[in-house]
Amino acid sequence: MTLNLCVLTPNRIVWDSEVKEIILSTNSGQIGVLPNHAPIATAVDIGILRIRLKDQWLTMALMGGFARIGNNEITVLVNDAERGSDIDPQEAQETLEIAEANLRKAEGKRQIIEANLALRRARTRVEAVNAIS
Amino acid sequence: MAMAALRREGRRIAAPLINPHPINPLRSSLASSDREHTLLGVRSISTQVVRNRMKSVRNIQKITKAMKMVAASKLRAIQTKAENSRGLWQPFTALLGDTPSVDVKKNVIVTISSDKGLCGGINSTSVKISRGLHKLNAGPEKECKYVILGEKAKAQLVRDSKKDIELAFTELQKNPLNYTQVAVLADDILKNVEYDALRIVFNKFQSVVAFVPTTSTVLSPEVVEREAEAGGKLGELDSYEIEGGETKSEVLQNLTEFQFSCVMFNAMLENACSEQGARMSAMDSSSRNAGDMLDRLTLTYNRTRQASITTELIEIISGASALEG
Repeated sequence: MTLNLCVLTPNRIVWDSEVKEIILSTNSGQIGVLPNHAPIATAVDIGILRIRLKDQWLTMALMGGFARIGNNEITVLVNDAERGSDIDPQEAQETLEIAEANLRKAEGKRQIIEANLALRRARTRVEAVNAIS
Repeated sequence: MAMAALRREGRRIAAPLINPHPINPLRSSLASSDREHTLLGVRSISTQVVRNRMKSVRNIQKITKAMKMVAASKLRAIQTKAENSRGLWQPFTALLGDTPSVDVKKNVIVTISSDKGLCGGINSTSVKISRGLHKLNAGPEKECKYVILGEKAKAQLVRDSKKDIELAFTELQKNPLNYTQVAVLADDILKNVEYDALRIVFNKFQSVVAFVPTTSTVLSPEVVEREAEAGGKLGELDSYEIEGGETKSEVLQNLTEFQFSCVMFNAMLENACSEQGARMSAMDSSSRNAGDMLDRLTLTYNRTRQASITTELIEIISGASALEG
């Protein structure tokens, strides 16, 4: 009994195959999904998606969206997604530093909110890279 | 290049003007043949005129052939993007359903069209369908507004439905389409327009020669809840436990906004593909027409040329035989 996971972004299909278990981070915390989970539809926060294939855990950085779980089928629709293995650690670290600098410089409510979002995205990417290694 | 052609053209026209009287019939200058013919009172198209026409038709053929190739390369670029974005709205339809027959008070029709012309009939079909939907959905208590994307639909709809147009966006294709731009656009529309149901009208790209006008319906969160209680496709929504927000309505609202921007993104990409495909086939038939026209003009030209040579020969021979006596 395996789960079928589909991760879709507007630009491409990032993942479409069977997995054993996933850990998804939502607005209200992290949820683990095993086969035969109850059907739920939830909003996905900017965070990490962990996927378990047999005994290996893979990470993916998700940039917010929705997920629907039902009948052993998981569909995750996000604005953007990157596999942990595809992210360059050096570049992710640099992006994080730039985002932090921008947040310090930001003025005005709107800029602060945008800088916060950019910071969270950069932090997620760095965590995704670090979590594998 | 155009200036050089114009200069050459000027020289050819200027030459006969410098020599008003054809001195030597043996000169057989084609430029003066039309003057001879008109002096004789014979009605025929001069070779000069035919040659000018052939030149312009040949230019048109080259231009349309080039336009076809440009459209083909643009099509290839957008086609992969459009196919990748198709997978995104299908889960939404599976969850929330696409019910064009839903009966609501405030309808908004989002018409997607192109900015540039010469792309066949796709813009007219989109406008025709939008008008049809408007007729279907306008009634005593219901109202129906337009949101227009693209210059061509705006030009057509402004003529008779000016008061129903809520928003119009043009010049969307200056930069290649990407999701962030469309998300911002969708946000704009959702903020400024009150709606119960949004109907997006666009041309779906099935193949390079087939474009099907389609409409996708996105419902507002309140209508979704109402329909969910009523049962049917949306009734399945209730079987899902909704998490990830304070209340169910907040999640539903975010969900419908996300759905709208995804569906818009796919619709705009498909319409762009259809536009390039339609332009390819329009330009192709135009080059073929130009080729046919060129063939016919060549035949006319040869006939005229031979007629003038024959006339000159007749004059010479009759003159010579008159001299002999």
